[in-house]
Amino acid sequence: MGKKFLVWCLVAVLVVGFAVPVAYAQEGEGEPVTLRLLSGAVGQELELTKAAAARYMAANPNITVEVFDTPDAVQDRLGVYLQYFETKSSEADLYQIDVIWPGDLAEHLIDLYQYEGAQEQAAENFPAIIENNTVGGKLVGMPWFTDAGLLYYRTDLLKKYGYDAPPGTWAELEEMAMKIQDGERAAGNEDFWGYVWQGNAYEGLTCDALEWIDSSGGGTIISPDKVITINNTNAVAAVDRAAAWVGKISPAGVTGFQEEDARNMWQAGNAAFMRNWPYCYSLGNADDSVVKGKFDVAPLPAGAEGGHGAATLGGWQVAVSKYSKNPEEAAKLALFMTSAGEQKTRAIEGSFNPTIMFLYNDAEVCDASPFMCKLYDVFTGAVARPSTATAPKYNEVSTAFFQAVHSVLTGDNDGQTALEELELDLAGITGFETGAPTME
Amino acid sequence: MARAKKRGMSEVAKKEERLALLMLLPSFFVIVVIAIYPLFTVFRDSLTNKIFASNQPVEFVGLSNYAQLLSVTIKELPPVIDETTGQQAIDDKSGEPVYERAITVLPREPQRFREVSQFSLLGKRYVIGATERDFIRAIVDTLIFTVVSVVLETLLGLIIALVVNSNFRGRGFMRASMLVPWAIITVVSARMWQWMLGPTRTGLVNVVLQIVGIGDGQIAFLRMSEYQLPAIIAVDVWKTTPFMALLLLAGLQLIPNDLYKAAAVDGANKVRQFFAITLPLLRPAIAVALVFRTLDALRVFDVFQVMLSRTRYSMASFAQDQLIQYQNAGISSAASVFIFLLIFVFALLYIRMLGVEAE
Amino acid sequence: MNKGLQYTIGRVLFWLLIILIFVYLVFPFYWALNSSFKTESELQRTPATFVPDNPTLQNYRAVFHNVNFMRGLLNSVIVATCTTLLALVIGSFGAFALGKLRFRGKTLSLYLILAMTMFPSIAVLSGLYAVITKFHVHPILAMILSYMIFTLPFTVWVLTSFFKDLPMEIMRSAQVDGATPFQTFYRILLPLTLPALVTTGLLAFIAAWNEYLFALTFTTIDPSSRTVPVAIALFTGQVSHQEPFGEIMAAAVIVTIPLVILVFIFQQKIVAGLTAGAVKG
Repeated sequence: MGKKFLVWCLVAVLVVGFAVPVAYAQEGEGEPVTLRLLSGAVGQELELTKAAAARYMAANPNITVEVFDTPDAVQDRLGVYLQYFETKSSEADLYQIDVIWPGDLAEHLIDLYQYEGAQEQAAENFPAIIENNTVGGKLVGMPWFTDAGLLYYRTDLLKKYGYDAPPGTWAELEEMAMKIQDGERAAGNEDFWGYVWQGNAYEGLTCDALEWIDSSGGGTIISPDKVITINNTNAVAAVDRAAAWVGKISPAGVTGFQEEDARNMWQAGNAAFMRNWPYCYSLGNADDSVVKGKFDVAPLPAGAEGGHGAATLGGWQVAVSKYSKNPEEAAKLALFMTSAGEQKTRAIEGSFNPTIMFLYNDAEVCDASPFMCKLYDVFTGAVARPSTATAPKYNEVSTAFFQAVHSVLTGDNDGQTALEELELDLAGITGFETGAPTME
Repeated sequence: MARAKKRGMSEVAKKEERLALLMLLPSFFVIVVIAIYPLFTVFRDSLTNKIFASNQPVEFVGLSNYAQLLSVTIKELPPVIDETTGQQAIDDKSGEPVYERAITVLPREPQRFREVSQFSLLGKRYVIGATERDFIRAIVDTLIFTVVSVVLETLLGLIIALVVNSNFRGRGFMRASMLVPWAIITVVSARMWQWMLGPTRTGLVNVVLQIVGIGDGQIAFLRMSEYQLPAIIAVDVWKTTPFMALLLLAGLQLIPNDLYKAAAVDGANKVRQFFAITLPLLRPAIAVALVFRTLDALRVFDVFQVMLSRTRYSMASFAQDQLIQYQNAGISSAASVFIFLLIFVFALLYIRMLGVEAE
Repeated sequence: MNKGLQYTIGRVLFWLLIILIFVYLVFPFYWALNSSFKTESELQRTPATFVPDNPTLQNYRAVFHNVNFMRGLLNSVIVATCTTLLALVIGSFGAFALGKLRFRGKTLSLYLILAMTMFPSIAVLSGLYAVITKFHVHPILAMILSYMIFTLPFTVWVLTSFFKDLPMEIMRSAQVDGATPFQTFYRILLPLTLPALVTTGLLAFIAAWNEYLFALTFTTIDPSSRTVPVAIALFTGQVSHQEPFGEIMAAAVIVTIPLVILVFIFQQKIVAGLTAGAVKG
């Protein structure tokens, strides 16, 4: 009796297993073209992408666009992409790639410049991003939306403690954070800290640390012309300064914080300043948020008076796989998804920061999201991580960097030693020369 | 005559052998179809410099991946001589004698050796360096993790199994709740524990400790190297004790009650009964449970990746990182083969020691 | 100390132990339950509360409305059930051979079967994925077969040790009665190892239920085949980087409770099975 059931189960499994692939195999013949896009699934992202795909399909009746979501966790998403590239799979045509991946993935992606309209469209985007996405003269990813690091600050607390403007330098930030923290703790909030940021040993730390170092005149780890510039006094000072925050104006656990941890503290009203991406803005103003209406954003502080702050460039691009069966159609779709019209829709409906410059002067966009238009200067001046210069070894470079910085933050090492060793490591990984950062 | 007899015996034996092979056939079929090719590629790739998901040509590099993973060196750290006194310098802040920095002493060609740790012996200071520091540390961490968590899980599992095996009201309910930690999806429970161990008072552990009077509610468990392994061990023990408990419970249930009754009649108390009857009869179950639990612990990956991500690795999460983040398929495969060999040695030891042979 | 007092102390300690064990095992689950009824702002609050101040059903609503999650539940049930059944069938066959029959190469076979699980998942993933894509295997079938890699060895080994423990007399008396070895296996020995079968079945089921890495890679372009761990990983907040902790906890609760109930039911079966066909002295 039990045996029969088992046998039936096995039969069922085998039938399903073999019937379905046969059904799949029917596809792919004849005129109609199916394009598959692997994209993010964050919140409205998927709906907006599907809506855009629907618009494209309406205009191009012989094309079917399928949108698939991938996990937000970088490890998982990159892992899936790599598995596909490893098997040279033609199952997916378009990929949504992070701003640090063009260099590493370039050999699997097609040059979008070959296709009509790409040059013109590229010219409309922020130059820094286009430069970032250009590997060996090939444009491997068309920018879709962008991100940059921002300083969030509590307007009510600044006023309460007598400050009328957000800090312009790191020294000012430290002073203000300390004073506010002491005051709030004395008033009874024992969980309050002055400044929260991302200090865990991961890519996010590379972003934060790059901001400290670049804003202090310490360069960008490796310059775009392939010189290792990280070992200099300004960089050492910047990292040591950040290490001094841990336990003083930032909780000891900040060395384990990622974006959400910082945001959770901030949104509960337990921090005076936060460094984070623009996404926290709308979340902070949610109805049940403690800090609703009590905060604003500003560019991150500079290293010294008169200097300029630095914001690390984030964001995502659309790339077309070399192994796609329909590269030309895929490229056309990519250009459509990232076109000004689509970016405008995404900006208004989903608060995705456009990469096309003139949209920041667009009345409708600025109406829907005034906060976004304020960020124009931040985006134009954003500093890119050296992913393209160090391709295809950016991950190694970044890991060496954030592990070195992390060891200083946790007190395992001092800034001088860590950066010296880092310079050796980077030379070993990339084979580049070392040099001084160019002052601008 | 003798020949016919021999043939007769071997015929029965042959029939049994054929049946055995037939019954083992599905298992081997699974191995060949599913596992052979992937396992073959792991061994093959470990001998090359293959880059994952890349069109770069693949070259055979022999055992150099293994050399890179496992090269360890020990060098002496010479003391720093204070010029004024002619003696070894003393650090002002800590009062400790000062030695040269490890980076000046560790070799750089042909591969850079990084510092793993330092130790003192007979008045001299030494530094241990390795070319793949993270992997050496991962080996140590994984071994510590394995030993401690397996011991804890076995003990706790045994206690739980004994308790649940005895007759009391609500026993079925206890049995079902026993499986709760195991039923929660691994990645979710790792996240949950990460949240509970949070460094601020949003974390349950901090809140509880503060109520009890320990700490100020701001302890960053997962950031402090002394607490990292204990925290991970605690999570894994919580998650996997049910597995051990269930296996041991199944073993316990096969021990006939009459044995206990007879022993009680003979005047043995519960403790005597446990050591004289339960333990010996439970040995095969304990042995199998130990083998598999150790095997799984040596391959641990989820908890390390979710809770410690790239600050501290287990051997398997190191291999994963090498493959996905660095696209270094050669090193990753070599690490996997190393894990395999280590596990194989452990399995052999267990089986020999605990006598789980099939014969 | 007189017998009565000793007995009472014994009972008290015993119940204390039960309560301690229960709390240790179940309290984190209670914490998940607790968190699942909280809004995001309450989750961020310090200090964390043991009982939600303002309990809300929004997380559960979000999870139930999530079609992917519900389908994921169904897929997980299918995959885990088939994996378990396959492992039990194949495993018990092999275990019978290894535990009761005589033949050459027993140790080698055992080690060979064990060797499959001695590799970390990531090592096997690429090779598996290449095979899966080459032969266009449907993701559900791919998962079921791949999970054999870690459920089969375990099943074989545990069942082998149980088969070995069964006394030879049973087999011999059955053979005397004229049963073939296979009939002995099927009709007599298998029912006797019921607790082992249920145990390994449960553990195999949950191992397959929990698996994430393979499931993620195989089902990326086939969302309709996704299992629960993948579906939960795809839970996202309203914006990038946001992790909807409350929803994830609600999903965890929804997934765990039916499993626990299932086990509860099966536990009754084990007890019933034992008292019915106990091993004779």
